[in-house]
Order: sequence, then C-alpha cells, then structure tokens
Amino acid sequence: MEFKVRAYRFNPETDEKPYYKEYTAEDYPGMTVLNALIKIKSELDGTLSFRRSCRSAICGSCAMKINGITKLACKTQVSLEIDKFGIINVEPLANMPVIRDLIVDQEVFFDKIKAIKPYLLGQREDAAHNRFKTLKEGEKISQPVYDKSEFKNLTGNEDTPNCILCECCYSECGGVVGNKNYLGPAALAKLYRYAEDPRDNDKNGSRLVNGSKPNGFWDCVHCQSCEQFCPKGISPVKSIVRLHEKSVKNSITFSPGSKHVVSIARSIGETGRLDEIKVAFESGGVTGLLNDLPVAFGAGLKGKIPPLRHKLIKDMEDIRLAYKELDLEDKL
Amino acid sequence: MLKHDVIIVGAGLAGLRAAVELKKKGIDAVIVSKVYPTRSHSGAAQGGVNAAFDENDSWESHFFDTVKGSDYLGDQDAIEILTSEAPGNILELQSMGVVFNRNDKGGIAQRPFGGQSFPRSCYYADAVGHMMLHGLFDNVLKYKTKILYEYFVTSLLTDNGKVSGVVAYDIKNGKFEGIAAKAVLFATGGYGQVYSSNTNALINTGDGMAISINAGVPLMDMEFVQFHPTTLKSTGILVTEGARGEGAYLLNSLGVRFMSKYAPKAMELAPRDVVARAEQTEINEGRGVNGAILLDIRHLGKERIMERLPQIMQLSIDFEGVNPIHEPIPIRPGAHYSMGGIKTDYNGRTAIEGYYSAGESACVSVHGANRLGGNSLLDTVVFGRRAGIDIAEYLKSVADDRKFDESAIKRDEEKFEQLKKSAGKERHGLLKSELQEEMRASVGVFREETAMKKALDKIGELKERAKNIGIDDKSKTFNTDIVEAFEFSNILLIAEVITRGAILRKESRGAHYRTDFPERDDSNWLKHTLATLDGNGNIKFDFSEVAITKFKPQPRTY
Repeated sequence: MEFKVRAYRFNPETDEKPYYKEYTAEDYPGMTVLNALIKIKSELDGTLSFRRSCRSAICGSCAMKINGITKLACKTQVSLEIDKFGIINVEPLANMPVIRDLIVDQEVFFDKIKAIKPYLLGQREDAAHNRFKTLKEGEKISQPVYDKSEFKNLTGNEDTPNCILCECCYSECGGVVGNKNYLGPAALAKLYRYAEDPRDNDKNGSRLVNGSKPNGFWDCVHCQSCEQFCPKGISPVKSIVRLHEKSVKNSITFSPGSKHVVSIARSIGETGRLDEIKVAFESGGVTGLLNDLPVAFGAGLKGKIPPLRHKLIKDMEDIRLAYKELDLEDKL
Repeated sequence: MLKHDVIIVGAGLAGLRAAVELKKKGIDAVIVSKVYPTRSHSGAAQGGVNAAFDENDSWESHFFDTVKGSDYLGDQDAIEILTSEAPGNILELQSMGVVFNRNDKGGIAQRPFGGQSFPRSCYYADAVGHMMLHGLFDNVLKYKTKILYEYFVTSLLTDNGKVSGVVAYDIKNGKFEGIAAKAVLFATGGYGQVYSSNTNALINTGDGMAISINAGVPLMDMEFVQFHPTTLKSTGILVTEGARGEGAYLLNSLGVRFMSKYAPKAMELAPRDVVARAEQTEINEGRGVNGAILLDIRHLGKERIMERLPQIMQLSIDFEGVNPIHEPIPIRPGAHYSMGGIKTDYNGRTAIEGYYSAGESACVSVHGANRLGGNSLLDTVVFGRRAGIDIAEYLKSVADDRKFDESAIKRDEEKFEQLKKSAGKERHGLLKSELQEEMRASVGVFREETAMKKALDKIGELKERAKNIGIDDKSKTFNTDIVEAFEFSNILLIAEVITRGAILRKESRGAHYRTDFPERDDSNWLKHTLATLDGNGNIKFDFSEVAITKFKPQPRTY
C-alpha cells in the first residue's frame, strides 16, 4: 500500500522559514515510521535529516512529533498512524530550537540534566567494598548487603532509572512552555532517582534544597503530559510529587510552592476549610498577597469573595482522624 | 586546532569507563563521539554482566568457561585478567551508582547464561546495558568531562611511529577539526551493519576498525562474527539470552525442544554459536515456522515476565505484534557481535605507541572464536578501566614531542568536498543494502568457499560502483547524507576483511563454521589471523600465537 509522509523541512543555510515536503512510500507489514524515513532518505531524498541509532526504543535518538504527538519514530507503526490519520506528518520536538529538519538543539536539555548533579554525593558504603581488587587463586570477594526494599523505587519497570533521555516529556512539558528555565520532567525524575538511592550521602539535603529553588520541582504545573507521552511508561510527575513529599517531610519549606502546600494542609486541619487569603499570604508573603490582588479583585467583582472569618465545619473530628491516619497531625 | 592529553573516541561503556578512570586522576581527556553518549549501542545490552560472587562459584570456573566458550582461541592470560578482575569491577561500578537487582541475601542477583557453569550474570531486569551506560555517563558528568558530541572521526594521525591525534568532522556545522593528543583510545564498537538482519544500532559501522587498518594497525580474528540465536524475526531486534536464562524453551514447528539433539546437557543454555547453528539447521531442514524458530516463555508466568523481562515483552509487542505472555516469540539468528577487532594487549595497547583500543572495537582476545553472553559488558569495563590506567602511566613518561600534521585536516575536508561535487548516480543507502544481503547469505552462520568467493566478487563490484556515489545533500549543517556515505565505505572495507579471513581459515571453530571444513583443526589453525593493508591497499594476512597458560585444548561439547 502506498502512503504519504509529510515532513517538516528547514535548512538554515537555504531556507528563510520552514516548509513541508511530501513523499510517497510503500508500506510493508511491521514498517515503522523510522523505517519509512530511512527508506525515503536512502532512495528518494538524502537531504531529509533526522537522528537515529538503536531502532529498538532504548537509545532515545528518534523522538519527534508524529501526527502532532511526540513519539519515538522507531516504535511507531506506519499502519496504525495511516489508519487513524491517513498520512504520516513528522515534525521536530517542541520546547527546543530546530537545527535542521527533524533535528533539535538538545544542549539546554542536557545542561538541565547536568544541573541536578546526577550522581551519588559522597559514599555511605563501607569503604572496603569500594576498593577494586584482582582476585588471587582461590580468593573470593565479599559484597555489601542491601535489602531489596532499599531499591524498591529504583528497580521497577516503570521506575525512573529506565529513562532513556529521549526528550519526549520535555517536548510536551507545560511547565517548560511557561518557563524556559524550568528544569523539566526528565531532569527532575533523575533528581528523584538519586535522592531515592540508598547509597547516596546527601548529608545536608542539598538535592532537595536546590530542587526547591525557582525552576525546580515546585514549578511543575501538574499537566501530566510527561507521564502521558513517555515511551517507556515512566511517570516523571509521580517522581516530582514524591520530591514534594520528601522535602515537606524534611522541613525544606522555603519555596512558595512548599509553603502553599503546608499552608493549605494547615488551613484544612484547623477549620476544615480553605482560608484563601491566609494561604495566599503564607505562600507568598506580603508581595505574594499584593500580586494576587488583581485576581482577587476580579473575582470579587463577580461576587466570589471568600469569607474573612472561618468557622469550624461540622465534621471537624473526622478531618482530625483523617490527618492522624495520614500522619499529618503535626500540621494541625 | 584543539589540544588535549588524551582523546577517547566513542562514548559507549568502554570509552566512558576509561574516561572516568582518567578524569578521576585529573588527566585532561576529551570524549569524541558521533552521537550523544547515551545514544551509544552499549545501552541496548539486555541480559547481564558476568562475575563470580556466589560462595559456591569461583572466578577460576568463569575463567575455564570463557576459554572453552572461545573454542580455545581466546588468549588465556587475558581471560584470567577478565575473570579475576570481574567481581572487583562490578562492585566498583555499584559504588559509582549502578543499580543491580538484589537476591534474597541482599547481594547482587544473578541469572544463568549460555555456556556458564554457574548462574553468574548480574542484571538490572533486562536492561543492564542501559543501566551501566547511564550510570557511567552520570560519572563522566560528575568529573566535568569535555564531550565533543556529534563529531565524526575521519583519521588517526601519527608522527614518528607515535600517535599524534585525530581529525574529526563536526556534524553540526560541517567544519573539520584537528585534535592533537599524546594518547588516543578508540572505543568505537562493532560493525553489525555489515549484515542485514542484525541486532545492532544503525551507528555500528566499524568506523574505528576501518580507520585503524588504514593507519597500519592490524585487525585480529575478523572472521569470527557472532550470530545471536534470538533476534526478532521481522527486525533482528535483540531478545536477551536472559530469557533462556530465566527458563525459556526453543521450539521447532513440531513443538519439540530441539536443543536436546545438539546440546543434550546445556539445552537452550548452550553457547551462542551452538544454538545459532542448531536453529539454522532446523530452519534449513524444514522444521522452522515461516523461516523462524519459536522462543517460548509462557510457562514463566506473567509476574516473572513483568519483573525480569519487561523490556523484551514490550519489544515483542511493539515490533513483532506478539505478546509473549500468551504466544511464543518468532526468532532467528542475527549478526550481533564482533569477536575480532583492533589487536591490543591486555592493557589496550596497539601496534602504534600511544594508540589504544578497548571494548568491542578491540580484540584482546578474550572471546576467541565465540563470546559467551554476559562477557561483553564485562570486557568493556575491565579493559576500559585498564586502558585508562595504562594511559595515565604512559603520560607520566612521555614527552610532548610529536607534530600534528595539519595538512591532514585539509586532506579529509577535500575528500568530503570532492564527494559532494560528484555527479555519480549510485546511492550509498542502496549499495549498503546489497552488501548486507550478500554478507548474510554468503558469510553467515554456515560458510563455504564457493559462496564466499561469490561474496568477494560482489564486494569487488560494490567497490567499483562506490566510486560513482552521488550525494544529495550539499549543505554543512547536520549533513547526515555525507556521514552515511563514509560509514558505508567503512563497512565495505570491514566486510572484505571478514570475508577474506573466513575464506582463509579452513576449519570450523566457534562462530566460524565451514561446511567444507566442518572440524576444528588445532594443528594448523590454533592461531590468530592478523589483517593489514599492503602498499596497494590490498588486504594481507599474518598469524600470531594463542596464549595457552592453564587449559589445554579439548573437544568442546555441551
């Protein structure tokens, strides 16, 4: 069966602006979008440019937008796309500048990975186990003992060490759309991976402190796109939420985001209601309150004014019980 | 012009491991790679990395298994190093951040692998290569290593018999760069793209090996190509040996576990050369299923499959349309690994002073005529590490006395420009497909002189036609068209070395099986082949002795 591929083309040396070029290719059972692009490149047009390496969804090279959705070209079947859309539209990833055709500049993405210090900080292990040794005849080696449970969030199929840095999540991230400096889901998932490692020796909690600063994990907008578009079934947003929990538990609550969470918990715990004025003040201080004024004013004009004084709700005892169950009593 | 003490070409496991060793010592090393490091093919390794940890296991047993697996062609002094340093290397990696699955005692979990007499393959589900690659890459970042990524190395330069640097093409902007150094390490991987139906990444085009033989460094034992027994029928994508380690069956069209005929004791866990031949025999004799064999893991149950083999489950669904929880997976042998490569000693040194190689691109030789599963990841870290240490020692004593021949930059640039101007009508992508198909058909699992000579004719024809290659892409920005054309010239050269070596070796040993010489012949062929180019660019062969220290050659049965 013949089908059409419509490819985003841009060569900075010759093109003032991007354009689309259509190619016709022949389908075969099991053909992937990457197979199609390779066939076009080798038989029809050697100038069509894209990255590729492993063709088995482990190297992360060939992420691109296929019919508007960020995917790995190597694991996307042509026939399924044709059934749904009648054409294969290919475009470069978003949130990164285009170098040429389907190739984007990844420098900023990888700078953000570097920024979270993706390695063990110091060593908690018995030093004897780190020392390399060549075994003599008859000699055995003893190894450090870790319980399975210590690695429980690092050894599951969908745990963050399985991330292949393909940038699908980054391309779809709502947080990066709003703030180019936001670290983004892949880097933060990596931060979580090391924060969760039982061998990490981050004595003063520097990972959580640095991650709590502006552009860090409190800047996630919870759009869930990273989870939705991950070709490896990983949920970076879940890691981000766990980082939120970890930092609040460790009383690393200097950021407006964490103050916001703590304040909401306190407000509910005290009265069973959300005291919006108080929460705004406790999250952002006087400046925060002033910043929120226009919104509050607009809401007020529409008659949506929160009560100035909050009474206890009727079922307050149930809430206290729930807080006790959730181990949140200290927030009361 | 750039200048560094050490250039590491290739950013897979061997290159990154060497880089960590050098950077840890504060040495000025730069990594040059044609892809971003995490795109390297080491990441596709699935099943495991071997090391003897269990109290009932021993490194000596691992040593013997590897020698026997190599069909006695592996150098035993090097294999002794590989296996006695294995546990230390794995613990070192673990302390650097690599995560392994745990056993019930809290140690590293280990699974059985082919040709191993004890379950000694350490794993991280079925993605251990990915885990190790990213773990080492993170350490490279920790030491703030300079990385020139998307740079394609075109030449290795020497001065007075010593290495002086490389010339590299910056794919991003089309500029040629000279990089001078006192030591150069090639950790450039294998050449799987020589064959159609292979497990390898598209980037595995034998570049480092081709550059080396052109620079006068011998390639050793290149006729030994590993065909992996379990690759997906339609795409050649790898299905880990760990599947059989976990208990998978191989079935023919009659539903019979045919391995009982070929390796009655080891069954599915015989070494790869034995299993690949058994499968091909079943297929050739009409007991295949549409040209494939079935790999059945259904009896392992959903839970175990999800826990231990999640990646191959997903790959089977995405690439073969088969859910292995409910159906057997159609598989067949596919080109997988190069036992041969750039001849090195066990510190990574080659024939040129200051020039090193490690990993799949190198031939130490620890794999001999057939590599055991789980030994290649081990090879990369053991010998990547050793090369790093040896380079550091070498730098202490060496003077900065060599000249970098800057005309070489111009020469390589000219070559690219000439090719861009060519009005030729041949397309390198199509020539590559013809070559790959010929190599699969004629220099594959079973080999025979007449077919291989036909392959040689085909290679000759392709060399002629390659002179008329035209390039569509004339631009400087990310010109992958021209890079692929040069990759093609590399695999063409490597294909010829493999074929000539395979015609020369008139015996069957390990992965090299000659139907016209079906027996191993120790009196004539217990020796390494060394390929070099003569003055006219023709391939010639010399031989060198195999280091036999502890284990005298015996018949090899499983």
